[in-house]
Amino acid sequence: MTLRLSKALVQRGLSTHAAIGLLASALLYIVCLTGTVTVFYEEWQRLEQPDAPEMQRIAPDAVQRAVASVLASEKGRKTTEHLYVHLPTDALPRATLTTDHQAVHVDAHGRVVAKELNGWSEFLLNLHYTLNIPGMVGLTIVGALGVMTLALSLTGVIAHPRIFRDAFRLRARDQGGVGLADWHNRLGVWTLPFALAIALTGAMIGLGSINAYGLAQGFYKGDVEAAYAPIFGKEGRPNAKAAPLADVATALRTMAVRFPDVRPTYVFMHEPGTVGQRLQVLALPPRRLVYGETYNFDPAGRFLGTVGLAEGATGQQVAASAYNLHFGNYGGLTVKIAYMLLGGALCVVVATGTSIWLGKRERRGFRQPCLRNGWNAIVWGSGLALALTLLARLWLGNAAPFMAIFWLSLAVLVALGVALPERYQARRALQWGLGLCVAALVPTVLAA
Amino acid sequence: MDQPSLLPCIGALAAAGAVCMLRLAWGRAQRSVSLNGAAWALLAFALAMGMQGAGAWGIAVVTLAALAAAFFCLTIAAVTAPPGKAHASNRRAHMPPEGREPLRIGGRLLSFLLSVPGAMLVAMILGLAARNMAGALGAPEADGNVLMLFLMPLLWALLAMLVLLWPNRGRQLALLAVPALLGLATLWMTTP
Repeated sequence: MTLRLSKALVQRGLSTHAAIGLLASALLYIVCLTGTVTVFYEEWQRLEQPDAPEMQRIAPDAVQRAVASVLASEKGRKTTEHLYVHLPTDALPRATLTTDHQAVHVDAHGRVVAKELNGWSEFLLNLHYTLNIPGMVGLTIVGALGVMTLALSLTGVIAHPRIFRDAFRLRARDQGGVGLADWHNRLGVWTLPFALAIALTGAMIGLGSINAYGLAQGFYKGDVEAAYAPIFGKEGRPNAKAAPLADVATALRTMAVRFPDVRPTYVFMHEPGTVGQRLQVLALPPRRLVYGETYNFDPAGRFLGTVGLAEGATGQQVAASAYNLHFGNYGGLTVKIAYMLLGGALCVVVATGTSIWLGKRERRGFRQPCLRNGWNAIVWGSGLALALTLLARLWLGNAAPFMAIFWLSLAVLVALGVALPERYQARRALQWGLGLCVAALVPTVLAA
Repeated sequence: MDQPSLLPCIGALAAAGAVCMLRLAWGRAQRSVSLNGAAWALLAFALAMGMQGAGAWGIAVVTLAALAAAFFCLTIAAVTAPPGKAHASNRRAHMPPEGREPLRIGGRLLSFLLSVPGAMLVAMILGLAARNMAGALGAPEADGNVLMLFLMPLLWALLAMLVLLWPNRGRQLALLAVPALLGLATLWMTTP
């Protein structure tokens, strides 16, 4: 199968591919790498706190006791507006309560056992979602990188008319750039469906804030929540007057009786202990891409209806499917491993892309050792910096400054790579450093 | 195994088989229309099985099976390919200039402005217009809003790509201006 495109179009395609690649590759590589690692978000949390109580299920009464006791422990503080109970799942068999002030693990009886300590997992997720840039800016930049990935995928196909015909040809051991180009093109073509799905869902999630802002300005008098309401449901009207705590246990028992095929994963309580409180249970239907269906209950635990994420309008189902499709948590460990391998392949595609471009320039006599070393520092240094943050978590604890460790070490590595004379093999040193960090991590991870 | 579980499994096996058939078809010196067609038909059948058994989840699982088979074939290719002496392509990307070629910083900056913020703005206008059009055609509000959320990044990518592919600056501007005007007109006509 060979695409028939004019020579001029192919050449323009290559220029466009290179231009977008050069513009986006460094940040795109970090997003791909952190995305690949984030696939095991739940497993990382278990690694961070191996002694947290685990259980397959938790009784509805135990959840009720836990909610009451956590809220009681916050008397005298500003009333929490949102309370989340993570219910045990296969990937993360723990019950965890999160309020505006704290996050704690509870045991199967609903007793608070320990504070949640998942600082590194949260740092990792934040790095992937926003590159640690606060507010809408980081999220939008990452969303734009999703758009660039879409454009790179499309221009990659245009720039290589034989890309499908050669799809199974991998001269892995060829020197002088052939092997590198083959790795880039073969992995590129076979990760294409994955890359398109990941890029589109990632761009949708990342650009969601500015798009919702656009929708809100255009049609909802500037109310962003109102723009999301037709998809994810409305927030209730707050009424801060005190009221008895909502009956979570009855709601969970109702779920078990009326919807035995779905697995509750979260309980959401909005303005708990007030007249305006709302109670929702998120539950996962089997063999679906949606992250769950939201079941609404009144404070007495009576079922009111669903939001429609699983069975409602097509748009609701599509939006609710974007997250699991992006993060690969819809088919247990098998799908997660597949996502890790495909994500790794995507990292290789990004890394080799710029290396190919540098190699071509070098073969034409334009040697740029600073740029070459700088790129090597991004490719190998990002992994090294990430490994350092995990070592810091395991050796220094939950309060280690992960963000500073990652960005400072990466900045130093890139600066050294660019500044060192050509005779110093920056890549080899970085590979050794990464290898040593991974070697140091393995026994700790296995022990946990 | 119940039918909803069985169909995606059949689909996954068929998808892996289809990729292996493609491997055979594309590995021949002469193109085989029948083998190629049979492989694509089997892939379509695999996706249909996934869809029938478990909807979007089934399609996702079948696609992963196809990719797994492709990576298996690639692994074999990587292991068995002898070291060659072929020369790597030196095709120039013309990005950025080499030697004494002019830097054209102004032109490149303009290309960036057109393909990044410019294309983004046009994509957002078109997304909002599509949302309104969907509403006018009777689609639920949720469908319209989600259409906008997905269409905007997709259109941004397409517009950015087309702008950069087009060598003529006037056509680049027209490529953004015409859809933007059409989108604004649609918005004006369909917003109550």
